[in-house]
Amino acid sequence: MVKKLVILKDITKTYQTGKVSYQVLKGINLEVEKGEFLAIMGASGSGKTTLLNIIGLLDKPTSGSYILDGEEVSKLSKQELAYIRNRKLGFIFQAFHLIPWATALENVLMPLLYRKEGISKKDEERAKKLLERLGLGDRIKAKPAELSGGQQQRVAIARALIGKPKLLLADEPTGNLDSKSSEEVIKIFRELNQEGITIIMVTHDPEIAKYAKRIKIIKDGNFIEK
Amino acid sequence: MKFLYIQILKDVWKELISNKVNLFFMILSLVISLTALNTIYSLGYSAKEQILNALANVQFGKDAMLILAGGGKIIGLTTTRRDTLKLGDAKEIEKLDFVKLVSPISLGTSEVSYKGNAEMIRIEGVFPNYTIATNWYPKTGRFINKNDLKRLSKVCVVGFDIPKKFGIKDPIGKKIKIRSEYFEIIGILESKPTFGHFNRNERIFIPLTTAQRRLFNKDYIDAIKILFQPGTNIDLAKYKIRQILRKRHKLYGIEPDDFRIITPDMAIKFFTSASKILTIFLLTISLISLIISGVIIMNLMYANIEEKSPIIALRVALGATSQRIIIHYLVMSLIIAFISGLIGWILSLLILKTIAYFTPLKAYFSWLTFLFSLSFAILTTIVFSLIPSVKATQVEPSILLKSL
Ligand SMILES: Nc1ncnc2c1ncn2[C@@H]1O[C@H](COP(=O)(O)OP(=O)(O)OP(=O)(O)O)[C@@H](O)[C@H]1O
Ligand SMILES: [Mg+2]
Repeated sequence: MVKKLVILKDITKTYQTGKVSYQVLKGINLEVEKGEFLAIMGASGSGKTTLLNIIGLLDKPTSGSYILDGEEVSKLSKQELAYIRNRKLGFIFQAFHLIPWATALENVLMPLLYRKEGISKKDEERAKKLLERLGLGDRIKAKPAELSGGQQQRVAIARALIGKPKLLLADEPTGNLDSKSSEEVIKIFRELNQEGITIIMVTHDPEIAKYAKRIKIIKDGNFIEK
Repeated sequence: MKFLYIQILKDVWKELISNKVNLFFMILSLVISLTALNTIYSLGYSAKEQILNALANVQFGKDAMLILAGGGKIIGLTTTRRDTLKLGDAKEIEKLDFVKLVSPISLGTSEVSYKGNAEMIRIEGVFPNYTIATNWYPKTGRFINKNDLKRLSKVCVVGFDIPKKFGIKDPIGKKIKIRSEYFEIIGILESKPTFGHFNRNERIFIPLTTAQRRLFNKDYIDAIKILFQPGTNIDLAKYKIRQILRKRHKLYGIEPDDFRIITPDMAIKFFTSASKILTIFLLTISLISLIISGVIIMNLMYANIEEKSPIIALRVALGATSQRIIIHYLVMSLIIAFISGLIGWILSLLILKTIAYFTPLKAYFSWLTFLFSLSFAILTTIVFSLIPSVKATQVEPSILLKSL
């Protein structure tokens, strides 16, 4: 059993816009153990999303090594990365990113559609239970446009959980929500963490960050050491 | 496992019908291109068929031959004297045992007038056996007979369209002026299919003798139509007739023929080359319409899928592989193509049947053309939906997700 789920070593990320290159991450080192609930904070433009995308395999670092669940992932093929995203990771975005023409239930089941087995009856039951648990039992047939922001984010959480991920990544999950919905969402996070899911969350909001077990602050492309 | 395909199909279908306006225009452009191509091609093909039929019906039997005065190419100006073909030549040819019938013709164009209407009309001086030689009989009245020929009668048989052209009511017995002489109309020929600008139904037939002495003032003839006994070897017949004519016209050695012999296979050759030109023309039109519709489909598909790239990135973020994305849009293209193909097929048939109902054209539906144009449409749809979708899977999902 690997204890450390995420090990980042000297991760850098440089964006090249024409002739101008801009280093956003300047050698990030981070270790996240199983069962952790980590909040990453920092000013706007400090590179929080960039870092989370790298951890979520949605972006590649310019240099450095990344070991996810005991496996070096920086040299994996697109197909292998897709497999890991599908099986080990759950992603929650600030803007929810639900598919607009699919119902809540269909959105939740979407990651399972990309598995070779497809969606089973059991999966469907599980998705319904998840939605019920998140307080959307009566809205499973609703399209995203028919749901409130908080409800949409809860659908997105269910979608991130359906594949039974080891690591949940959330980029300002409460960024588009009012304070009541934010509290609901963050409480769900805490519950999930108590059930054993590892969470890395990016947030601006200190009130939200308080729910995490550990907080890291990023500034000028590096973590501030406390 | 087998449910996976149904699940993918459902997923694709939902995406398709989520934008009904787009779907409508994609299908519309495909349907229009398929329908236009197939109706144009089918109508052209049908017209061609009909012309060929008309030619086969009108021109020549199998055991027939036509001799034209003057040497040279079949079509075009003659390069020799053309006043050497005489009635005596026709009589000589008639003596051959394999010849069934010989029908000499004297041609000219004269001003014809009736009650102030005047037109230049083609006049044919003929023998009574012209009807048999051309399989063309009077609809009303009678044709020229031996007596007319002997007496140089001023009678005429008119083509089917002549009475209408000159506004002649109850034409039989009426007198029509040809150049300066009045001719009595004794018969109207049945209508024959016609093509080009030589309307066969706008001719006037008079006794050959009358034509030569009263109208054209010439002692030579312009053509001889010959029918052979069934089973005659046409090549041998042609050889013998040529020898007779050359001898009678005193042509020796390398002197060229001052007549042209036209056999059925030559006529067929000429008309098949005409129909080949029509085919090339049709193919060109088809190709142009294919290219135009191809460009339209291409742009529509490309723009549509490119717009979807953030959604593609989302699917990739959720764990879809590139193959999965390709399958997704392949299925989508096939659905669009299948629906369009079905509608295009039904619509083409409907249009063709309607046209066939209101015009003499027949509804020839060409499966080959349809399947060819359909595969072309499917191919364009597939290629130009795959290019943008594959492109979307090539960039890091994080970049495209920003615009979602
Ligand atoms: N694709 C890109 N090309 C060039 N520069 C980029 C790109 N993506 C991000 N950046 C730059 O990298 C820096 C970090 O961006 P990032 O999105 O990680 O910030 P963030 O900390 O998430 O900020 P926010 O709190 O506003 O979301 C920014 O200055 C941004 O302009
Ligand atoms: Mg951000």
